Amino acid sequence: MSALSRRAITSTFLRSFLVQGSWNYHTMLGTGFAFAMLPGLRRIFDDDAEALDASVRRHLDHFNAHPYLANLALGAALRLEADGTDDQIVRRFKVAVRGPLGGLGDSLVWAAWLPTVSMAALALWWLGQPVWVVVGLFLVVYNVGHLTLRVWGFRSGLRDGRDVARTLSEARLPQLGERIKSIASLLVGVLAGLVLASREGLSDAGPLWLVPAIVCFVGGLKIGHRAWRPAAIATVTAIALIASWGVLR
Amino acid sequence: MELALIALLGGGLALDATSVGQFMLSRPLVAGALTGWMLGDPALGLLIGTLLELYLLVSFPSGGAQFPEGTTATVVAVATASASSAPGALPIAIAVGLLWGQVGGFSITALRKANGLMVPEPADEHVDTTRLATAHLGAVGLDFLRGVLITGTGVAIGRVLVAQVGESWPLGQRESLALILVGAAVSVGILLHDLGGFRRRRVLFATGLALGIVGVRFL
Repeated sequence: MSALSRRAITSTFLRSFLVQGSWNYHTMLGTGFAFAMLPGLRRIFDDDAEALDASVRRHLDHFNAHPYLANLALGAALRLEADGTDDQIVRRFKVAVRGPLGGLGDSLVWAAWLPTVSMAALALWWLGQPVWVVVGLFLVVYNVGHLTLRVWGFRSGLRDGRDVARTLSEARLPQLGERIKSIASLLVGVLAGLVLASREGLSDAGPLWLVPAIVCFVGGLKIGHRAWRPAAIATVTAIALIASWGVLR
Repeated sequence: MELALIALLGGGLALDATSVGQFMLSRPLVAGALTGWMLGDPALGLLIGTLLELYLLVSFPSGGAQFPEGTTATVVAVATASASSAPGALPIAIAVGLLWGQVGGFSITALRKANGLMVPEPADEHVDTTRLATAHLGAVGLDFLRGVLITGTGVAIGRVLVAQVGESWPLGQRESLALILVGAAVSVGILLHDLGGFRRRRVLFATGLALGIVGVRFL
């Protein structure tokens, strides 16, 4: 069995950006995971076609995680394969980490980091900043967090192998998520204030518009995600009815 | 030619949402500005991107959930609005975008089902690594084609619609914008709900609200 080369490690890391490329309801990230592992597995089992085949099938299994934190499992699985770990242990390891990596990633990135950076960018737009500042800052700030998480995850997994669970708990990602959510809560207020009070905002169209806006805001606050689709349908219907009225007038 | 370029941009940006990278080039804010820039009006692109970003703040590609596709929605909306200077161009473009986001969401679900038929089975006796790579990259290619098709169709429909009814839109620009913002207020409420709810976050929210209102006056 060969040791992992820098080239194989880099190639696996780069392929991790395509880990969701063949997302499906059967194996979810499974195929993407095996695709990303291929350069490393080819290097590890370069003189044993049968072992390579078995390892590829092992990683085709159902797997799901947040795409950024999937790197932690990728790095660790590569380490386990390179160390010649028993295939049942590799399978059990992947089953054990997929839940936490999905939940943590969703909570940290989708529910905290992305809305926080988005709202900061939206606030900048409402304050009259130019297009390139708003879009440029959004992309740079968001991706600093994104790439840091991917690189940290992959390196930690590769270094710690099966012990990556300890690394994950020591990283205190839920606490980090909570802190980011506090900033996001402040920014929701800032954004609401800007939308209410700015030129091009609601107050500009007249105070009467504030009433349905507050009703909609409270509806979203109380009902949560179930309110989104009815609100979108209501908006589209209202625009369609007003357009029809304009045509018939 | 322009329609083909917009469709290709939509396909390329749609890849970023799930299949490739997730650098958030696919978010309405960025997709709107890029489409606007391509069509010679980045400010309009960013305005529509901002409005749709407000709606889609709470929509993200998490797990197996079905979600409206913000990328094609935004590219379609910007391309629809930029084709006309009629007073109804903006609200109709937003409505078409919101509707087309749902269509994009359904097409993602269909693509994921098709991917399930294409990828190699873990239970197979032997898995050819070339077949694995072909299936995986083929799925990425299909996602691109899906984005191109959805964007192209949406823009064609949106532009016809704006040309037909855009001129007779009865509301002024301020009222039209207010109507769109009223709908978006639901997403802002949902976001605060997701962040822990009003009771838990009321101090931070109220502080931010005051800062926002005061900030507008001074900045």
